[in-house]
Amino acid sequence: MAKNHRFSRRALLAGAAPLLAAGPLAKIALADDASAAERTATHGGHAHPRLGHASMIGAEVPAPGSPGQLDILTLPPAALPHQPGRLREYTLTAFDKEIEIAQGVRFAAWTYNGTVPGPIIRATEDDLLRVRFVNAGAHPHTIHFHGIHPANMDGVFEVVNPGEAYVYEFPARPYGMQLYHCHTTPLKKHIHKGLYGAFIIDPPEPRKPAQELVMVMNGYDTDGDGGNNFYTVNGLAFYYAKYPIMVKRSQTVRIYLANLTEFDLINSFHLHGEFFRYYPTGSTDQFEYTDTIMLSQGERGIIEIDFHNAGLFMFHAHQTEFTELGWMGFFNVVD
Amino acid sequence: MEAAAVGRDRGGGSARWRLWALVPIVLLVGAVSLFAATGSSLTDLLGSSPPQADTFDVRRVELARGEIRIRVTNPQTDDLTIASVTVDDAILPFTLDGPSTLGRLRSSTIVVPYDWVEDEPLAVGVTSSTGIETVHEVPAAVETPRASPRSFLGYGIIGLLVGVVPVALGLLWLPSLRRASPHWLAGFMALTAGLLTFLALDALSEALALQAALPSALGGTGLVLLGMAVSYLTLTVISHRFGGGAAGTGGVSSGVALATLVAVGIGLHNFGEGLAVGSSFALGELALGSFLVIGFMVHNVTEGLGIAAPIADGEGRASFRRLVALTAVAGLPAVLGAWLGGFVTTDVHGVVFFAAAAGAALEVVFEVGRYVRRKAPGGLTSPWVLGGFFAGVAIMYATGLLVG
Repeated sequence: MAKNHRFSRRALLAGAAPLLAAGPLAKIALADDASAAERTATHGGHAHPRLGHASMIGAEVPAPGSPGQLDILTLPPAALPHQPGRLREYTLTAFDKEIEIAQGVRFAAWTYNGTVPGPIIRATEDDLLRVRFVNAGAHPHTIHFHGIHPANMDGVFEVVNPGEAYVYEFPARPYGMQLYHCHTTPLKKHIHKGLYGAFIIDPPEPRKPAQELVMVMNGYDTDGDGGNNFYTVNGLAFYYAKYPIMVKRSQTVRIYLANLTEFDLINSFHLHGEFFRYYPTGSTDQFEYTDTIMLSQGERGIIEIDFHNAGLFMFHAHQTEFTELGWMGFFNVVD
Repeated sequence: MEAAAVGRDRGGGSARWRLWALVPIVLLVGAVSLFAATGSSLTDLLGSSPPQADTFDVRRVELARGEIRIRVTNPQTDDLTIASVTVDDAILPFTLDGPSTLGRLRSSTIVVPYDWVEDEPLAVGVTSSTGIETVHEVPAAVETPRASPRSFLGYGIIGLLVGVVPVALGLLWLPSLRRASPHWLAGFMALTAGLLTFLALDALSEALALQAALPSALGGTGLVLLGMAVSYLTLTVISHRFGGGAAGTGGVSSGVALATLVAVGIGLHNFGEGLAVGSSFALGELALGSFLVIGFMVHNVTEGLGIAAPIADGEGRASFRRLVALTAVAGLPAVLGAWLGGFVTTDVHGVVFFAAAAGAALEVVFEVGRYVRRKAPGGLTSPWVLGGFFAGVAIMYATGLLVG
């Protein structure tokens, strides 16, 4: 009986072990809260930072790249006067390169000359365009230009295998905003990996002087699920939010805009606080006066803005999802 | 002579042969080092190995006013770097409470300033430097309770209601049980076994469901087995040390001792239950209506009956203080579980606790079974025992529908 008594006490003690642990465990729970409170306190002034996309400007923006890094893809070479038969030569080399497309996010891209989008090709109508294409990548590629040219210059049948080269040669026409991209199958893969770029053909009669910019809208499917994870103009998510584009109020801004977004049916361009003239494909002088335009895959055109006001003006896709996944930037309009 | 020599060999060489036992281990270390040194060349022979998944394990998402806190762990062998964070498909600036590059099983907390909308679903995405996005969905955004005195009290009350109160109420059947015939008592003992069997299976399925959602690197099924085995064996040792050793009982726990074991088993289960209720509520996965609390109360009243039955059947009498202690052992863990679930726990803890509860409940089922086989008139196959067992399972099933 005595033994029984002793056992039950000890058994109870053993059974109560979880309860005895309650004290220390509760302390753990409280300590966690205390440290959380501390952390919130150290946040101090910005415990409630500015919220919403308006705050996404300057140093706060999670964007890759350095100041000036995108100049080569934003600022086109100058237009040359009309001179039929003049030779314009470019060399494009396709190679695989891992690039940082959003802050800290690397993408195994297929590039022309190491950037996505590829280099800007510019010619005046009736120039003889000669593009030497070298395939230094791991897969077969081509260059398919939009415009008018012979069938064997179309970049569809003459597949260029790794280590091979091909010369595309044809008169540049018609004038307008064109584009180029790889046309090897599987087509979707070859385009979304980054093989595309802007191709400007200037009219015989020069366009009005303007501050000229090129914007190629694109997306990146970084996890291979057939949908884009990031959207950009000229390849880097939020780049122009971190580094706004400086423009003068007194000068017309001309944007050569193309949509090379894969997977999504459309993309769009919307400008804040201003209207612009939009010339579809830039092939006529017909324009629409608006602040939002919609472009299908491969569609492009020319935008001309005469800013009425100085200050920061946002531009972005009006698909808000694209905006918040990287396709957003600012003009800093100065007097 | 020869035989003697052999004998000497066997005797004298014993230390040597014990040392020999180390040889396989030393050779294993050698082989492993050799393989590690030339590991990549083996990969070359077989072709390149597939890339790692690069997905994060999102351990806990906490919502505070204007802020989302995401606890992530790297479940894979290779390092994993947090590069980009989205909420509802929008990239947002964030700060890190911890490193951005996580080694295997290392964690960091991502803090995102965000004006989330009450009661609406929310999806947070964490993208690795390799562009792989891990999405975690919050079914309904509600502020995560902080460990304030108020919420502490709130979880405490939930624990009391689903754990302590029903067990105490169930124990009130004790006087009636004392006056019951041996047949009925055997039936109630079997009922205890039935409800514990139900609890064991319930806890096990809970543990298995939780582990299935864990990243494979955490070895979920092993964790379940480990939790079960540890609690089962611990209870076995306890019962044999303190209960089974008593002379005349032939290694079978009885009376208050058996009731204590039952209480421990039920307590562990209630701990897991408290954990589940607490964390589900904290993470916005459960609308804690009064109906749910009522359901758990009705469900758990039977547990008090389970503790009362062996006391009524035993020879020793239980003092009021002992009954209070038994109630505490069986019921209070629910309070503890609710606190832990509400404030700190993750699914990994849930797996371990539920597995432990399953092991404990199973052990007690065997204890009760052995007791019934010895003590019950007609043994294990008497209609009272069989009926009691099925009634136990059926009652738990029926009342369990209240919380389903």
